[in-house]
Amino acid sequence: MSQNKRYWSGLDELHGTEEFKAIQGQEFPGVQSVDEFLSDDRLESTHTGRRDFLKFMGFSLTAATLAACETPVIKSIPYTNKPEEVTPGVANYYASTFYNGQDYGQVLVKTREGRPIFIKSNALTGEGKVGVRVNASVMGLYDSARLNGPRKGGQPTDWATIDADVQAALAAGGRKVVLTHSVASPSLNRAISLFCAATGAEHVQYDAISYSGMRKANVADYGRDMVPTFALDRAEAIVTIGADFLGTWGDVAVQTTAWSKGRQPENGKMSSLHAFESVMTLTGSNADRRNMIKPSEAGRVALALLNGLTGGGNNGDLSESAAAGIAPAVAALKAAGSKGLVVAGSNDPNVQLIVNACNRALGAYGTTVDLENAWVLGRGNDEAFAALVADMAAGKVGTLLIHGVNPAYTSTAFATALGKVKASISTSLFADETASRCTHIAPDHHWLESWGDAQRTTKRVDWVQPTISPLFDSRAAGSSFLTWANNPETDWYTFLRQTWNPNYTADQLYTDAAWNSSLHDGFMALESEGLPVSFEGAGSGLAAAKQAVMATKGGAFELAFYQKNTIGQGDQTANPMLQETPDPLTKITWDNYVTMAKSDMDAMGLNTYIGQEKPASVVRVTVGGQSVEMPAMLLPGQKPGTIGIALGYGRGANGEEVGKAAFQMAENGDFLRDANSALVPVGTNAFPLLGSASGLPQYEQLNVAVEATGATYALASTQIHSTDMGRDSIVKETTFGAYFAERKAAKGSASWNKLIRIGVHEDVNGDGVINAQDSKPTAAFDLWHEHPVEEVGHRWGMTIDLTTCTGCSACVTACHIENNVPVVGKDEVRRHRDMHWMRIDRFFASDYSLERGEEEGVGAIGSYRRMEDPAENPQTVHMPMMCQHCNHAPCETVCPVAATTHSNEGLNQMTYNRCIGTRYCANNCPYKVRRFNWFNYPGYKKFMNFNPSQDNLTRMVLNPDVTVRSRGVMEKCSMCVQRIQEGKLNAKKAGTKVPDGAVVTACAEACPTNAIQFGDLNDKQSHVAAVSENNRAYHALEEIGVQPNIFYMTKVRNTESTEA
Amino acid sequence: MQREAAIREPLILGNKSYKDITDDVVGPIQGPAPIGWKIMITISAIIAVYGVGSILYLLGTGIGVWGLNKTVGWSWDITNFVWWVGIGHAGTLISAVLLLFRQKWRMAINRSAEAMTIFAVIMAATFPGIHMGRIWVSYWVLPLPNQFGSLWVNFNSPLLWDVFAISTYFSVSLVFWYIGLIPDFATIRDRMVKPLPKKIYGILAFGWSGRAKHWTRFEEVSLVLAGIATPLVFSVHSIVSMDFATSVIPGWHTTIFPPYFVSGAVFSGFAMVQTLLLIMRKGMKLENYIHVKHVEYMNIVIIVTGSIVGVAYLTELFISWYSGVEYESYAFINRFSGPYSWSYWIMMTCNVISPQLFWFKKIRRSLIATFILSIVVNIGMWFERYVIIVTSIHRDYNPSSWGEFHPSSMDVGIFIGTLGIFFTLFLGFARFFPVLALNELKTILKSSGEAYKKQHDNH
Repeated sequence: MSQNKRYWSGLDELHGTEEFKAIQGQEFPGVQSVDEFLSDDRLESTHTGRRDFLKFMGFSLTAATLAACETPVIKSIPYTNKPEEVTPGVANYYASTFYNGQDYGQVLVKTREGRPIFIKSNALTGEGKVGVRVNASVMGLYDSARLNGPRKGGQPTDWATIDADVQAALAAGGRKVVLTHSVASPSLNRAISLFCAATGAEHVQYDAISYSGMRKANVADYGRDMVPTFALDRAEAIVTIGADFLGTWGDVAVQTTAWSKGRQPENGKMSSLHAFESVMTLTGSNADRRNMIKPSEAGRVALALLNGLTGGGNNGDLSESAAAGIAPAVAALKAAGSKGLVVAGSNDPNVQLIVNACNRALGAYGTTVDLENAWVLGRGNDEAFAALVADMAAGKVGTLLIHGVNPAYTSTAFATALGKVKASISTSLFADETASRCTHIAPDHHWLESWGDAQRTTKRVDWVQPTISPLFDSRAAGSSFLTWANNPETDWYTFLRQTWNPNYTADQLYTDAAWNSSLHDGFMALESEGLPVSFEGAGSGLAAAKQAVMATKGGAFELAFYQKNTIGQGDQTANPMLQETPDPLTKITWDNYVTMAKSDMDAMGLNTYIGQEKPASVVRVTVGGQSVEMPAMLLPGQKPGTIGIALGYGRGANGEEVGKAAFQMAENGDFLRDANSALVPVGTNAFPLLGSASGLPQYEQLNVAVEATGATYALASTQIHSTDMGRDSIVKETTFGAYFAERKAAKGSASWNKLIRIGVHEDVNGDGVINAQDSKPTAAFDLWHEHPVEEVGHRWGMTIDLTTCTGCSACVTACHIENNVPVVGKDEVRRHRDMHWMRIDRFFASDYSLERGEEEGVGAIGSYRRMEDPAENPQTVHMPMMCQHCNHAPCETVCPVAATTHSNEGLNQMTYNRCIGTRYCANNCPYKVRRFNWFNYPGYKKFMNFNPSQDNLTRMVLNPDVTVRSRGVMEKCSMCVQRIQEGKLNAKKAGTKVPDGAVVTACAEACPTNAIQFGDLNDKQSHVAAVSENNRAYHALEEIGVQPNIFYMTKVRNTESTEA
Repeated sequence: MQREAAIREPLILGNKSYKDITDDVVGPIQGPAPIGWKIMITISAIIAVYGVGSILYLLGTGIGVWGLNKTVGWSWDITNFVWWVGIGHAGTLISAVLLLFRQKWRMAINRSAEAMTIFAVIMAATFPGIHMGRIWVSYWVLPLPNQFGSLWVNFNSPLLWDVFAISTYFSVSLVFWYIGLIPDFATIRDRMVKPLPKKIYGILAFGWSGRAKHWTRFEEVSLVLAGIATPLVFSVHSIVSMDFATSVIPGWHTTIFPPYFVSGAVFSGFAMVQTLLLIMRKGMKLENYIHVKHVEYMNIVIIVTGSIVGVAYLTELFISWYSGVEYESYAFINRFSGPYSWSYWIMMTCNVISPQLFWFKKIRRSLIATFILSIVVNIGMWFERYVIIVTSIHRDYNPSSWGEFHPSSMDVGIFIGTLGIFFTLFLGFARFFPVLALNELKTILKSSGEAYKKQHDNH
């Protein structure tokens, strides 16, 4: 049946009107096509009406305006297939190992969306926590000065050319040498051995900081070329002669943690630390007794200790300050017996021989000195290096492969001789001092990009695993060596696996459960029996050593070289985070300088006070024929007649591309240029000034001249005032004896930590009269309604133990990297505008006080003036200081817009979006922990060359969980609120309470001595709640009544007195 | 008619008629601008433009262009703010308090003193605005209903009290000043020949006709506004002082601040009035209206308020010692013996010693000495605020954070700039506004005019 239904679109169609018929065939009825319109003859005679004209104009104008408003284009590429292990917003952690020739640390690398952004210690190892230099090293991955591929003659090239050139060079004549730092990686050692075997090359190891003196002494005494490890946690008395074992000497990460274990007063005993040193180091500042010596006296101090331990003998000449320290040190060592320990930083084998004798006299071998479980690093062979340099200068070296070391920076002779080597290949990541002088650069991966293994001692191997694909066209150095050796296996990962499992094949890539679990842990225990040690020859060289140290004499001025805790030997000089972390003792950023004693500076008329507009005086230091001009800086505790210069500065002195932050900036943010328009490096390289004795570099010069030049140089300090002005409610300290006597006292009642009470006009004690005995604790006073923080929900808090805080600053860098704290550069730091959320206040003791002023009749004004000056050899306090998260916060009441408020979890929280920047909160903060964004740090030109936010690559290190603050807002410690939030969310998902330890702030996590503890004070089971109830716990500036959530623990010194 | 004792010095010198008063005040507005005025306004305007440029640079770059730092978060900005607010106080005191106390001598000076108040408050209000890190959200200090969630201002914050205090003060002062100007604008309107100025002054005069009804209302409104303005004289600077007094910082946390700040404000305000009027009476030939007697009266106010300020300084010192509080006592020891003691001693010399010279009648009645001392007092009062702000916070509780403050060129430039803007405005006022309350002056001509007083004596 046919369809007879009809559909129509409208009545027009149904009725078939004329109008409908006219438009029926047209697709767009009523619209004239452009061609039709233009071909219309009547077009000439038409006109546009005023209203139409205005409409068109209006439209065009609006359209043009809108088109001009450029929407920011954000290039983000979504995952097409989501990688199994990456969830946006959730961090992954990978165990890895850091080693750069100086520092060694087992770490966990935090990655977010595939980017490594944070480095913390691998707690599974149970051995030490990494320090400031290691956790800041993540910045180096994103250094935009890194080479983006191989170089030949300074020009980009490809790997095939490099390989061909190296093969050609190896085929040519001349000595072939592989020059590396002390190789920590067994696989790399194997690769280098294969290379040497295949090509006839020799392997020379060279370290910027030499431990040869100690190794030679151990060869002489025990027949073993090694550096022992020290069990500082077992030591009861430690004497250090210039060995900065908490800062830069030896295996710092392990030593710091171990030392702190013996420094817990709650255990009823504390180890004692006696330091003899010229420049005050971190270790010296933590010593219970610190004695100033001249560098030339180091050997005689060791000898005096030995004589003291063994019963007499000639000590030779000792200065008064050195001699005074001998008897207490000997007494402490004798009391400790085999749990005593003597270490020395000297690189003179004679000094180390005497130190060995001391330790033998104590019976320390086997208890505090571990020869069997030796430190496998510090193996640099200075004689082989010297021979190599001589051969290079003589043109005898045909091919030189350099890995992991930068000798052109540390040795002028090497830099000169390098030009005479026919083919020199560096695996450096940067065109640094050495690499830029090499014929070829074959850049290695950054350690965060590479596979590897590493060994600190013989008992364990630690894994290095990549956390990101190589950013640039680099190649693992091991792979390069294998390629050049024409080894059948050149894949570095396979080679690495084969080192530990000769039967490894690619099909075991994922199936080796043992490997997988050890990779997860970051290490694998090794079956290793310590090598036997023979004591038979011990002491044979002692007599000669005694004679040698007796004969050591110094001139009018002696120079001690030291390393700063932040910069170390200098391979991270271009790390802006480290440069801006103040030296723990001088609090100077972005520079090295000549440290001097006040008496010497006064005698030369040098400025001893560094202020914003008070630059340092420049002195000329002449060593042999060489002289350098550097600013002079007062460092209390410097032995008069000695000066100190930090190594590790002055990188890129010839404009080498070692990283932007290695160079000084002008005030407008451009690079500073000298008269020859060359870049000016930060600081001065002191390596060329090093002394030398029997082929070993010596970290002292015994006869130098120092003279004032009259010039000045601005230094940037984060703390310009040295003493605590007798304000003992900020720092509370006591002696171990006093602590022990009252160790059971209730909190607030011990004489060394009395609760502060404020007198009130009411009869509190009920004795019927109102008098001075009527008082209440500060917590009883409240202007406002109580914040409901006690016993309600969480109350996040922190405890900081001043006894174990060494001032190492690991918390500072950890905090700043975690929280995207801006780097503001030297000029802004000089203007007291550092942005540090976490700082370590360093107080030197003054030998003056109001009481003494009263006795001497100088009055309050005179006393206060004198109290501003530290003592000549002061006791030191390192006090971490950050927002105290006051429950009665003065900052909160004064903000007109309520941008800073109290959370019901006890946090003083800062709402950046709401802040209008009146800075009233900062003025009203008694602790001065608030920091204001004076400029637009992520965009203003002044900061373009060092602020991580302003570099397209370095920006990758920013923590995506923390906002980058804008100009004009206040910021401060948030107690890592992003971590608290994460911990709470995880607990919520798991349906549990937040377990103690699940949330930890960056600073607490980084603290190598666990001096900083974080947790929930309302959780009575938590560690931090228990510590806050300890009788050493107090609030800084308690009498103001701001009731912080941060508790400090009274500092206990293992001394007789806490006087300066 | 009111009779005044013959022994009182006349307030209007010379043989003035009502017409003379009108001529003396309106004449300069009608005539061409004198060359001296042109020179002065050119200089002021150049400085003002420099100041505005500096402010724009500050706003474009960040607060970092000032010399402030992590320890010293306020310095010249808030010093200038408090200084300018203080200067404003004289105008209100003269026009309101002296009105209530029926002090006729105020009539010669109240108009320009009020103008000074308005301009000084404008300058003062500039600083809290530009000292903010993010001035573009400065309106958040107003309790406006908003859609940012339930965001509200913090009524605990003295800075918020400041917002209310200053804005109230400014609006009341402006209204008060303008009401007083209305009859005088009408007089100018009536005398103007050129149509455009006549039109403008006509609009400004609000249709004033001089009827008795208008005069009655005028008197009533003036009295009511004087009643409102009088507490403001005391409240505004009390509240400004609470910016400091409610803090925990030693040297700021002081209960003496409100009365001490108010007397300091009146002290500096009168000094500024002296500075301005001594120039103006010379430049505009108003010697017969503003003469030695007026100057002497004002100098007496300066002695009284200056002495109150001096006592306050000494009280602070005493209390800091008597309190036995370590931080408090150090704050004051540091004030007079620390790195910024020079500013303390400038303050002490200018504010405590110099006004005591006015006990000598010769000095009190010397115009030159008054002019010099008026400037000295204002220098001293600027340093008073600088001392309170900078020396207190540069060394407060924690010695590790003790710092320094060094002003930058922008600190100086913006302060000088506000002086330029202020003088530009004031010179504009002197040129186009009736600088004396001429209609009010006429009410005392017959009782206090020199010629009339002589006539009375002859009777």
